Amino acid sequence: MKRRGVLLSGLGLTGALIVGWGVLPPRSRLGTTATLPSAEGVVGLNGWLRIAANGDVELAMNRSEMGQGVHTALAMMVAEELDVPLDRVRLIPAGPDRLYGNVAMLLGSLPLHPSETESGRESSFAKGGQWVVAKVARELGLNVTGGSSSVADAWDVLPLAAATARAQLLNAAALRWRLPAAELTIADGVVSHASGPRAHFGELAKEAAATPPGDVVRKARADWKLLGSAPPRTDLAAKVDGRAVFGIDVRLPDMRFAAIRHCPMIGGSAGAVDVDTALKLPGVERVVRLGPYAGSTAGVAVVGRSWWHARRGVEALRIGWRAPPGGPIDTGVIEADLLRVAQAAAERGGGFPFHRRGDAAVAMAGAARQFVRTYRAPYLAHAALEPINCTARVVAGKVEVWVPTQVPGMARALAAKVAGVPEDAVTVHVTYLGGGFGRRLEVDVVGQAVRVALETGGRPVQLAWSREEDMTHDFYRPAGVAVLQAGLDAAGMPVALRVTSAGDAITPRWIERGLPHLAGPVDTPDKTASEGLFDLPYEIANQHIAHVATRHAMPIGFWRSVGHSHHAFFSEGFIDELAHEARLDPVAYRLALLKDMPRHRAVLQLAAQKAGWPGHGTPRALPAGIARGVALHESFGSIVAQVVEVTLADGQPRVLRVVCSADIGTVIHPGIVAQQMEGAIVFGLSAALHGRIHTENGVVRQTNYPAYRMLTLADTPAIETHLVPSTRHPAGVGEPGTPPIAPALANALFALTGKRLRELPLVL
Amino acid sequence: MELSVNGRMRALPDDLADPAMPLLWVLRDLLGLTGTKFGCGVAACGACTVHVDGQAVRSCVTPLASVATRRITTIEALGSADRPHALQRAWLQHQVPQCGYCQSGILMAAAALLAADPQPSDRDIDAAITNICRCGTYPRIRAAIRSAAESLRSAERRPARSGAPAAPKSEPRSEPASKPGPKP
Repeated sequence: MKRRGVLLSGLGLTGALIVGWGVLPPRSRLGTTATLPSAEGVVGLNGWLRIAANGDVELAMNRSEMGQGVHTALAMMVAEELDVPLDRVRLIPAGPDRLYGNVAMLLGSLPLHPSETESGRESSFAKGGQWVVAKVARELGLNVTGGSSSVADAWDVLPLAAATARAQLLNAAALRWRLPAAELTIADGVVSHASGPRAHFGELAKEAAATPPGDVVRKARADWKLLGSAPPRTDLAAKVDGRAVFGIDVRLPDMRFAAIRHCPMIGGSAGAVDVDTALKLPGVERVVRLGPYAGSTAGVAVVGRSWWHARRGVEALRIGWRAPPGGPIDTGVIEADLLRVAQAAAERGGGFPFHRRGDAAVAMAGAARQFVRTYRAPYLAHAALEPINCTARVVAGKVEVWVPTQVPGMARALAAKVAGVPEDAVTVHVTYLGGGFGRRLEVDVVGQAVRVALETGGRPVQLAWSREEDMTHDFYRPAGVAVLQAGLDAAGMPVALRVTSAGDAITPRWIERGLPHLAGPVDTPDKTASEGLFDLPYEIANQHIAHVATRHAMPIGFWRSVGHSHHAFFSEGFIDELAHEARLDPVAYRLALLKDMPRHRAVLQLAAQKAGWPGHGTPRALPAGIARGVALHESFGSIVAQVVEVTLADGQPRVLRVVCSADIGTVIHPGIVAQQMEGAIVFGLSAALHGRIHTENGVVRQTNYPAYRMLTLADTPAIETHLVPSTRHPAGVGEPGTPPIAPALANALFALTGKRLRELPLVL
Repeated sequence: MELSVNGRMRALPDDLADPAMPLLWVLRDLLGLTGTKFGCGVAACGACTVHVDGQAVRSCVTPLASVATRRITTIEALGSADRPHALQRAWLQHQVPQCGYCQSGILMAAAALLAADPQPSDRDIDAAITNICRCGTYPRIRAAIRSAAESLRSAERRPARSGAPAAPKSEPRSEPASKPGPKP
């Protein structure tokens, strides 16, 4: 109970300190027209929806489109419930109100084990924790696009908001025509009655706003026309002809461009700066020193007439760099330290226990044999293709920023702080994001851009980092180490599992730099540090899964699938080793440990069947020189299995085919799900085959794509995605495809070469 | 100074149009054509790909001086609203883009490939499309290039139906096409 006490008191304390939530009434997520007021030609119905004069529906969009298709998926929920064509749902930016906060993401931060969240066997701890967190999350109102939570979060709100609007429109028409509302129908945004009367939404909106909805009922699944189908994404037409506006494409009258050089040593600073040569260059206007903002390294920016002129100015600066107070960061030293810490903790049973079941120590001692292996993973950069940027304008105490961000509220707060104005003097415009992957959960560049804009006399300025600055001043996926230990019975099945991992905790550092008012005096246990290890679905009677949270100077952040990104490699590689030790088929071995986990079984069996795994479906014989491997992993509420077929080309792994199966709960748009699985697999393969960031003399050595390799078209395997039908609440889609690919590939390489790789990236 | 971009001569500001300035920044910051993207600055990612006299070129390392008298085409003029390029139609049919940031460059690289070789083999496509897409849209890129090539071929065959017999469809070639990689 100690673990639970710590977690619950941490949550409760956070909530009580921040908002005194215990005395507040429940907060409706429907919102009112006070949050989304009517305007010229549009009538507000609730906090999410307005109706335009021509009958178009306006949806307050609170999530950032970074490729994951969220603008389409969320609009589909509204279009379905209102029976209006998808292209008549127009997106308008949601304001900064806490109504638009993300509840599902905070729920996902609860360290719950799948054995206590499966339908029909939810534990009281799980239910209580979820209740507390949901309440805190509604009060906090953090608007975050992340944690694969957007659809799950919207599912509790948008269909209800649209069903409420629908009920108001129907009741308004019933009153106007003196007909029973139950006899009215809606098709293509037009309310009508069989006897003849008809009116589109725009003609009914004003009356609807004044009409109570009465009983609101969401549309039955059997009546869905749009949800579950794959209409064209609404954002793609503008993405094939150059029209889509990303942050770096914002153009404003009389705008200036800024480039930046950070201290090459992470955490260092600038001493003397010789600006003479730079300021003599044509098109260079000024130089601005920049301190650290929201975790960034200090640096110097140059403002110019184009970004190229500004960049030339930056390169002409002569700057005396100073090392950080703690000395230059050395990732080699950190990685060695993690190994030592994990091994020491494994020996003495240290670390914070995220999951305990049975008595792992006793069972381990009594096991027929023990099996111990150590797994490691390096730091990784995000390397989103759109470099980090922000455009800012400061005029007469008003601040405007245009930024591709996953966290508009955090951007607003930092902009206000840097400009010295109240938050309501700041307007944040969220553009399209040229990839996010977690990097755009950071607001460092917003602080920098506003600081520069304070110097440009009211002119807007766009600060864009070069690729080199982006790659060498990221918030990296933390390095990690885990010691995995199994106690096996005579048949080779595990009776005990101990996992001891070590690595820096991301969430407390992120809160410190982005939400400093919420940072506590001590770190509470961070689920992301152990996710993918403590929450394994396998039925092993005795478990002790602990994590030692370390703290190093290397800046770390959320990276697509976060802790799962490397922990799945650890756990699924280890399980595969156990299957091999037991001389059992890897799929059969896993299924034997999932007797009471039907959804996991179904996902694994579907992948095996579609891949032609021996014993499943139609067996697919592989020619000599090609082998397959499998992995199964649950993350963000979704279960994903992947089967990889790999060969060697010039001694290097070449992935030929990936069969992916998933249970993601209710499917909103199967085409977007397939896109996300394909993308997540390619993202994970780049990391598995090539990804490693390291420092020398405190400076990140990988400065651009050639040194931090990505998969290209020629390297990309055929990928197929198969979904298990489900009527559960929708779960995550953007991230869950990434974790299984590295272990599936490593397991395939073992099958091919007999060489077991326990370190990323995979080097034969 | 003037530059031919998308079929029009465009005046460049004399005080800013430096001969060493890469074409990318001329397009984006002097002419406001932001469809061409900045990704790496070292001709590694291909987000900045445009056509210079019909050839795919990585504009981030292409000095203005080297293209002063050439015809430049950017994504904004690959097709038009009423007459999209076959690749743009195929891109939508296959729902290729995710974040979309790299897609301008990939479309321009693919258009140059199809202009030079209307029937590229998979190996030709691999050799020509060396762009980086961090979202991993590659499987759909390949499928879309194939269908665009197919639709261009059937468009070519169509007029033939009225008179002469349709040209036989030759087998896809397997030798790699010349790589339209970075050009200074």
